Amino acid sequence: MNRWLTPLLVCAGTAVGAYCLTPAVITFGIMDRAVAKVAARSKFNHMAHGNIATPANQPIVRPSPDLAYSTCPFDLTDGPLQIDVHPVSGRYSSLSVFDARTDVVFVRNDIQAKGAPYRVVIARDGQSVPAGMETIRVKYDKGIGLIRLLLASPTEIGSLEPARRLSTCGPVKRL
Amino acid sequence: MKGWQRYSIAILLGLALGVGGAWTKIRQGFSKGAIAIGVWRTSLNYGTTQTDAFTRASVAVRGLLALPSTETLYWSATSDSDGNPLSGSCTYTMSGGTIDARWWSVTYYDKAGYLVANSADIWSFSGASVLPQEKDGWTVTISPVKAGGHWLPSAKGQGFDLTLRMYNPGDGFRAAPEKAALPTLKKGECA
Repeated sequence: MNRWLTPLLVCAGTAVGAYCLTPAVITFGIMDRAVAKVAARSKFNHMAHGNIATPANQPIVRPSPDLAYSTCPFDLTDGPLQIDVHPVSGRYSSLSVFDARTDVVFVRNDIQAKGAPYRVVIARDGQSVPAGMETIRVKYDKGIGLIRLLLASPTEIGSLEPARRLSTCGPVKRL
Repeated sequence: MKGWQRYSIAILLGLALGVGGAWTKIRQGFSKGAIAIGVWRTSLNYGTTQTDAFTRASVAVRGLLALPSTETLYWSATSDSDGNPLSGSCTYTMSGGTIDARWWSVTYYDKAGYLVANSADIWSFSGASVLPQEKDGWTVTISPVKAGGHWLPSAKGQGFDLTLRMYNPGDGFRAAPEKAALPTLKKGECA
């Protein structure tokens, strides 16, 4: 029995360690796959204006069929990113920024923006950003910027396309 | 048995117990900040840097890229009022009134969290579908065959979940979220 005492302690320690680490491994793993999947449909640091979610178009789990999603998968390895948002008058829209741990590091809806266009910069700590720009500091290089736009009906998406395309993302143009 | 064999068994058993226990807790759903009203469950504690690791992982599995509760509430219904899993072979009557939010919708998903194809191309019921005369009381039928009035198609022979989204919940809700008036879900006949 004595020969099993130390292995049993190792078993208990391994179990506790695995129990504590599993949530983080799952969270980062799922988000990493989601960022890669979204980036594969467009590319990093560019805004893609997707079609409405249907059974044939569900890039992520539990999409809303009542919203138009625009996505900006970002990678800050080469520098900060700017996102320009143009709310569409008279309807719900929001920009949310998710980091690699799935935390929402920024969210602003159309009412909070007073319906006016705005620009935010996403940057890692230590990255230089032009003075005066609203800046969101993040802990990880990768994440997703997501614009939700409420549709009164699915057929609206075509007529809203020009307005959606006003919202963009890309590297900060001047440092 | 040799020493390395004992340690190998111990490590493998520890990994199985730790990962299995964590996965079970993650699949159970929200831990801290959970609220239950009727058949609906949610948490006020997700999407932020203060979110606990298990709630964060649960949201990643069940509804990645969810907004924080200050912006949107996501209520989930996985069983009827008797605790039985929701079945696409049964008819359910969902009834409600005014929901304290700028905009709301109820969406039908399969057990994996994805939209399900149906001949009507209807996957949700929202506040925009409520007629002026139904403002204080509306009803929608969830069933595999077309129903009169508001209808949310289900997939016969498959289980399903419902997600109630409340975008920009109102001040009344924020003051007492545990007392929110949410739709009821009554089970009817099963095929």
